[in-house]
Amino acid sequence: MAPANSEMIQGTLDMLILRTLITGPAHGHTIAHVIERTSDNVLEVEQGSLYPALHRLEHRGWVTSYWGTSENNRKAKFYRLTPAGKKQLSTETERWRQVVGAIGRILGEATE
Amino acid sequence: MNLRRILRRSREDAELSQELESHLQYEIDGNMARGMSPEEARRQASVKLGNPLVIRERVWGTNRIAWLEDTWRDLTYAARTLRKTPSFTCIAVLVMALGIGANTAIFSFLDALLLRSLPVSDPHSLVVIGWHAKSDQDSVTEGISGRTDPDPHFAVVGGIFPYPAFELFQKDDADFSDVFAHCHTREVSRVNVVINGQAELARGELVSGGYFKGLGVVPAAGRLIIPDDDRPGNATVAVLSHTFAQKYFVNTNPVGQPILVNNLPFTVVGVAPAEFFGVDSSRVPDIYLPVHANVALGSQIPYGFTAKDYLNSNYYWAEVMARLRPGVTLEQAQSRLATQFQSWVATTVHNDAQKADLPILFLRQGATGLDILRRQFSQPLYMLLTLTGLILAIACFNVANLLLARAASRKREIALRISEGASRLRIIRQLMTESLLLASVGGALGLLLAIWGIQFLTALFASQGNLHAELNWHVLAVAAALTLLTGLFFGLVPALQSTKLDLVSALKETRAGDAGSHRPGWRVSVSHALVVGQIAISLLMLVAAGLFVRTLSNLESVRLGFNRENLLLIDVNARQTGHKDPGISDFYGRLRESLAAIPGVRNVSLSESSIISTNNSMPIALPGLEPNPATRFLSVGPDYLTTMQIPLVAGRDFANTDTPTSPPVTIVSEEFARINFPGQNPLGHRLLLLEEPHGKVLRDMEIVGVSRDARYGDLTQKTVPVVFIPYNQGVPRPNQMTFLLRTVSDPAGIIASVRDVVRQADARLPLSNVQTQKAEITDAMQQQITLAELCSALAVLALIIACVGLYGTISYTVARRTGEIGIRIALGARRGPVVWMVLREVCVLAGVGLAISVPIALATSKFVQSFLFGMQHNDPLALGAAMTILVGAAVIAGCVPARRAASIDPVTALRHE
Repeated sequence: MAPANSEMIQGTLDMLILRTLITGPAHGHTIAHVIERTSDNVLEVEQGSLYPALHRLEHRGWVTSYWGTSENNRKAKFYRLTPAGKKQLSTETERWRQVVGAIGRILGEATE
Repeated sequence: MNLRRILRRSREDAELSQELESHLQYEIDGNMARGMSPEEARRQASVKLGNPLVIRERVWGTNRIAWLEDTWRDLTYAARTLRKTPSFTCIAVLVMALGIGANTAIFSFLDALLLRSLPVSDPHSLVVIGWHAKSDQDSVTEGISGRTDPDPHFAVVGGIFPYPAFELFQKDDADFSDVFAHCHTREVSRVNVVINGQAELARGELVSGGYFKGLGVVPAAGRLIIPDDDRPGNATVAVLSHTFAQKYFVNTNPVGQPILVNNLPFTVVGVAPAEFFGVDSSRVPDIYLPVHANVALGSQIPYGFTAKDYLNSNYYWAEVMARLRPGVTLEQAQSRLATQFQSWVATTVHNDAQKADLPILFLRQGATGLDILRRQFSQPLYMLLTLTGLILAIACFNVANLLLARAASRKREIALRISEGASRLRIIRQLMTESLLLASVGGALGLLLAIWGIQFLTALFASQGNLHAELNWHVLAVAAALTLLTGLFFGLVPALQSTKLDLVSALKETRAGDAGSHRPGWRVSVSHALVVGQIAISLLMLVAAGLFVRTLSNLESVRLGFNRENLLLIDVNARQTGHKDPGISDFYGRLRESLAAIPGVRNVSLSESSIISTNNSMPIALPGLEPNPATRFLSVGPDYLTTMQIPLVAGRDFANTDTPTSPPVTIVSEEFARINFPGQNPLGHRLLLLEEPHGKVLRDMEIVGVSRDARYGDLTQKTVPVVFIPYNQGVPRPNQMTFLLRTVSDPAGIIASVRDVVRQADARLPLSNVQTQKAEITDAMQQQITLAELCSALAVLALIIACVGLYGTISYTVARRTGEIGIRIALGARRGPVVWMVLREVCVLAGVGLAISVPIALATSKFVQSFLFGMQHNDPLALGAAMTILVGAAVIAGCVPARRAASIDPVTALRHE
């Protein structure tokens, strides 16, 4: 399946990044890669937006960062979820589910 | 934390670069693992990531205060670049400071004059009641005491009403919570107030019982005038202004003190608050008296106010204001009151002419008080504001042009920044920061200039009433808005222009400019348009300057017809200390003789007022003929012509032998003789002084002398026919008199002796208006002279600014064509045609500018006609001079760069390429 829409819905990138980090710290390239892979390449992360998003999340205190060494021995900047970030993720997820459910109901009723 | 982030930006930025670099490496590794060549892997990874600079900018942009940091960086950058070109910066800042400063100063006066509210409670519910009519001849306003004004919309506008009309208005309970009157009749315009035996002149105001309550004024001491005071017989109380009370009651409480007003006893009951200046800032009262006091005061003077005048429906004298009830609009009240007034005034007509032109009532916002000062000053101020506005426009055009030239030399820098990924918006913002910084520095400096300008203008208008301008928030807001607007105006066009460029050619361009480019680009037309604009506006300013310079020289060379040097004027009003007819004439006669005895005094005479501040007319006719309304007269004493040094053409001056019992005589001016006795000797003819309106003969006089024409009344008026009559030969009886003392040397030396002599004659006589004839003339013309000087100075300033701009733009254009000119010369062009080529461009620009502005100048100059003297607004000399000066300035501004261009060594010029 081709990428549905290269423009991701506003605000969802932040949520997806937070979700990716729940399994543990990761650097920018891994995060983008994981999002694309997990979504079966439906969602393509525009790399130009990734780093501004990461810095935005860090600025809000939802992730922290540190310089570390990666699996293939390269120096990389790793991002880690903070407790506030975890809380934000559950709020966002909850809200997202509600919205999706609501839209689904509308679309479902409309087609019936 | 945010501030720390700003400071940490460079470190964080470096970290981000590193992070992006590592990201790129992962991507390359991945690509290579998929079998790409290293070069292809790197290329694909770069394409996928995009421009790292842009990402860095965006990361920085996610910070919520990024704009602040950007602004800070823009500001420091702007300050740095402006410091690098100090001469440009200085010129631009100075030009803007002059423009903004002048505008702010003038605006502060308009603000004080037009916008400020009266210092009373809820000024916005106050209304002024007035009327307008087609004419003030043959109307129901058979008698007036006060003023009516010509008006551009209606022929005549008045704010005075008969007392019965005031009583009618007071009955309108539905619309008004208060209706009150105040009057400025001649009974009180200048009163003699005696406090503890000391006599002072004061400006009085008659106010109705409801005046202070209606305005909502709270007394500073005692109480104010109440309705009970304003009844016949009761009206013997007075309220003092705060300033007057402080001046004359230093250590005593004025409340309850007895005073004499024009020799009548009054009791001070209170003091008005310090900030209260009445309702008309052009006449600030010292003392408030009840309206009904004018019967007693009127009995003191000839043709004074009488009790009957309260019932007279054709005698207009009371100015009326009212306070609207909450919820009533001005329009509602006006429609109701106008209807009532219409039916009332219809009952007061005496003939058909009156019926055809009944005054029509209207209401006007009263929050800013009365408008006499406004009528007097708003026109000159609007004119000054227009001139300073034009200067600001020229200044903006000029700075815009300088910026445009500067932006062109920064083309490479801008192209470089764009090629490195800066967006056009970002660069426009950077350039706008620069121009706004320029404007702000200019604005701040302009504010300092404005403070100085306000002091200067306050001094200029000081003699003319209570006009206080200050830097309040209105004015500061206007200065700030001007700064912002001018910054946007002169910055935006160059910024848009210079960021719109072809990167490749801009980067290739050499430092010497795009010499040899033959494409007439848009920028050239923009800068040409700016030059044309400057020339057009400068012409307007120069025409104004020409008109004012000529007015100035006309004013300074006014032919007086009398000698202004060594002449002392003193005003004395013996009526106010109780002198009655016929003794008052003798009193003045004796005082004249005592004054003549002062050592150093050559001649003494007297007249009802100084000759340049009078404007009296009564019907004066040759027997059997109709009186000529243009004829003016002046009541004077013995030796008048001798004292004034007005030459006699024929006959004799008035002498001590012209007494109340001797045959009535008169002296006429040459102009009067020319009109009434063409080709004849007027001596021995008879002249009749008639009473208005019935034509009874008051004096049957013999012409005993003819004088040369002397300036009579307003110094800027034409010569009028004048008749001099002795002050002591019947009606009109003498009232206030001005004594004229011709001295041997500077009159200042005898003032003390004059005071002694007057005190000996009558100790109660105040002597406050003592001045030399020279000072009076200077005062009378000072405002006009200074206005003319100010306008000329503004125009010169505009010319300088425009020339600087012209020179700058033309040198810049020539510099850009250095290469082209070099090629032309190398190909054999002679220098003459090259100079001409450059000058032709200048002349075309100047021609276009003039073609636009000459019709505008002709059309708009009529608005300054009232400020001109002795000339017409479309004066060909002023217009011609302005055009010559402007074309001359343009040619000179073009000549220097043109000659420089022509002397270019072709080899050097071509090496530029």
